[in-house]
Amino acid sequence: MGEKTEGDGILKYRIGIPRAVMYYQFGTIWKSFFHTMDTEVIVSGETNKKILDEGATRVVDEACLPVKVYFGHAMQLAREEVDFLFIPRLVSIEKKAFICPKLMGLPDMLSAGKSSLPPLIKPTLNLVKSESRLEDFLQDIAKSLSFDKKKTRQAWHLAQGVYNKEMESKRRSFLENQIDCPGLTTIFLAAHPYLIHDRFLNLNIVDKLKKMGCRVILPEEIPPEVQNAELSCLRKPLFWSFGKMQLGSVRFIARQPGAKGIIILSSFGCGIDSFIDNMVVRYLKKMGVPYLNIILDEHSGAAGLDTRIEAFLDMLRWKESKDEDYVSTYGSYLGCDEGTARASGAGCSSTTLFQ
Amino acid sequence: MKALLEHLGLDVVVPPYSSKRTLSLGVQHAPEFACLPLKINLGNLIEARELGADAFIMAGGVGPCRFGLYAQLEKEILYDLGYTYESLVLEPPDMGILKFLKEVRQIIGTVSWWRVWQSVRIAYRKAYLIDELERVLQELRPREVVKGTADRIFSFSLSTIDRAKNNDDLNEAFGLAKQKLLHVPTDDNQIILKIGLVGEIYTLLEPFASLEIEKKLGYLGAHVNRSLYLSEWINEHLFHGFLGKKNMNRQFKDYSYPFLNHFVGGHGQESIGASVAFAKEGYDGIVQLAPLTCMPEIVAHTIFPKVTKECGIPVLTIYLDEQMGQEGVNTRLEAFTDLLRKKRALLDPLRTIC
Repeated sequence: MGEKTEGDGILKYRIGIPRAVMYYQFGTIWKSFFHTMDTEVIVSGETNKKILDEGATRVVDEACLPVKVYFGHAMQLAREEVDFLFIPRLVSIEKKAFICPKLMGLPDMLSAGKSSLPPLIKPTLNLVKSESRLEDFLQDIAKSLSFDKKKTRQAWHLAQGVYNKEMESKRRSFLENQIDCPGLTTIFLAAHPYLIHDRFLNLNIVDKLKKMGCRVILPEEIPPEVQNAELSCLRKPLFWSFGKMQLGSVRFIARQPGAKGIIILSSFGCGIDSFIDNMVVRYLKKMGVPYLNIILDEHSGAAGLDTRIEAFLDMLRWKESKDEDYVSTYGSYLGCDEGTARASGAGCSSTTLFQ
Repeated sequence: MKALLEHLGLDVVVPPYSSKRTLSLGVQHAPEFACLPLKINLGNLIEARELGADAFIMAGGVGPCRFGLYAQLEKEILYDLGYTYESLVLEPPDMGILKFLKEVRQIIGTVSWWRVWQSVRIAYRKAYLIDELERVLQELRPREVVKGTADRIFSFSLSTIDRAKNNDDLNEAFGLAKQKLLHVPTDDNQIILKIGLVGEIYTLLEPFASLEIEKKLGYLGAHVNRSLYLSEWINEHLFHGFLGKKNMNRQFKDYSYPFLNHFVGGHGQESIGASVAFAKEGYDGIVQLAPLTCMPEIVAHTIFPKVTKECGIPVLTIYLDEQMGQEGVNTRLEAFTDLLRKKRALLDPLRTIC
C-alpha cells in the first residue's frame, strides 16, 4: 500500500470513481475531498453503449438499469491503472430515510463478480439514526487509505462547502425565475439525479426538451426544505431519500400557479419508483396536471422517445391555446373519478396519502 | 392474527384463500412494477371488502424494503376504487404490538389486559404449533408411501387447531395431529435430498404465491427446510423476541459474512446467511424464491455465485410473478433435483446404493 508522505505534493494514490448512480449527486464532494487529500481521482468516462453492455452482462438480468451501468463503469476503471476503486456503501444520507436496498448491497455485489477488480474502498455511510455517524464513514476512509484522521475530517468539510455552494447556485436560478416563462413551455422533469444527468441513459432528454422550446426544471433546483415542507402532511413519512425528492418536488410544482407539464422518468425495475411514481401519478391525475410517464431500459430507442415527447408537448400547447384537455387518457382507468377529484379543489382532500 | 382478534371478540373477515381471481384483481389495480405480494395483498383486500370487511390490519415497516409502504399505497388505490377502509398498521419501531392492542381496545371497548395477554399467548402458540407440524410434514413428504397423505392430515389439523378456543383444546388438537402424522407409512429405502428454501418471506410462506414449490420439491424426493417460519417472524418483528425461543435470524446474519456485510432490507441478508448455514449442515442444494423486482433478493441473487463457489452448494433462483406457469416451474425443479442427485452420486457412491 503506497508510501505515506504528508503534504509534500506527491499524489499518493490513484482512486477510481465510477461515473454512475450517486456520483451524479455527490461527485463534487468526493472529487474535491480526494483532491484535498492529495489523491488522484480517475472518473470513468460518460456512459456509452459499451459500458452499458458490459455492465448488463455482469449483473443478474433482474437488476435495474443504474446498477447495470454502475457495473459497466467499474469494469472500465478496472482497466485503467487505479490503485483503488471508491465504492461507498451509501445506506442513508439523512435521518430516517434510506437510499435503496440495491445501493446498500453494491460493494458486495461487485466483489461477488467473477472479474478481478482493484481493491475496493467501501466505507459505510449510514445516517439513519443520527447525522453524527458521518464520523464513522470518514474513519472508514481514513483507515483503508491510511489518511490522517483529523485531516480527513477537515478535507470533508471543505468538500461539503464546495458542494453546498454548487447546489445553491443551481437553486438560485430557479428561485429567480418564475415558473411560467412567456414563450416557453414549462416542463418539470421528475427523476432521480443519475437519470437526469446521464445523457446516454436518458437519450439526452434535457437538451431535446430545450431545443423544442421548453423551460426544464429539475428536482435538485427545488430546495430540500421546500420538498420536506411539502411532505410534512404525509400520513406516513416516506423512508427513501429518492422517493421524498420525487414526491415532494412534484407536489410543490403541481401546486404552483401557471401552466406546466410533468415528465416522469424512471428506470425499468426500479423498486422505489414502482411505488412512488404510482402515488405521483394518482396525485397529478387528481390535480389535473398533465404528465408523461417514461420508463427507460437498455432497449430504449431515441426515435420512440422523440415521438412521445413531441406528442406530449403538442398536447400541452393545444391545451393552453384552446383551453381544452387533449392530454393522454392514460390513468383515467386508475379508478379515480377525475371530475369529482378536480371539483374538490386542491385535490389534497381526495387522497389518503396526505392528511 | 385471526386467532388473536377473535379471542378478543372482534368479528374477523378472513379473505378467501388467494386464487387466480385474487391475483388478477390485484394485477389490474396495482402498479405494474410492484412486487407480487402487493398485488396478491391488494386482491385479498378487494375480496375481503366484497365479504363486508371495513377495516384492515397490516404490518408495516420503515424500509428500505417496499413492504413498509404497502398499507399506504393500498389504501390510496382502494380509495380511488371507491372503497373506504379503516386501517390499522403495526409499525415495528414504536413498539408495535402494544400500541396496536391499545388501538384495538379502543375499537372493541374495555377488555382486561390479562385477557389481551392471554389472547396474544394463544395466538402465538397456534402459529408456533402449526410450524412444528409443518416441519414434520416437510420430513414426511418425500418419504410417505402414498403421496399426499401427510398433506391431507395437515390441512385437516389446521382447521382443528384454528377452532381451538383454549390451551387444552389446542394441546389436544396438536397432539392428535402429530400422532396421525407420525403414523403415516413411509418408505425409507430411497435417497432423500436435503434442500434449503430461502428468500423473501411472503413467497416462502404463501403456497399460492410460490405455486406450492415446497410441496413440489417434497414430492420430488426432497426434504425441504425453510429459512423462515411464521412464528419466528411474528416473535421477532412484532414482539422483539418478547415471546422467548431462539432467534434463528440473528444467527443467519452471522453466516452472511463475508458475502454480504450489510443489512439490505427485507430478507436479503438472511437469504445469504441461511444458505451458508445450510451448506455447512450438508444440504444438497438451495432454492431461492423471490417476487420479481424484489430489491433485497436481487442483491442476494447477485451474490449467490460466490456462495456457490466457496461453499460448493448449488442455488436455483426462481422469480415469481403473475406470468408464472405451473409446468415451467415443474420442469425447472425436476431438472434441479436431477442434477443434485447426480452430484450426490458422484460425491458419495455408497450412500446412493443403499
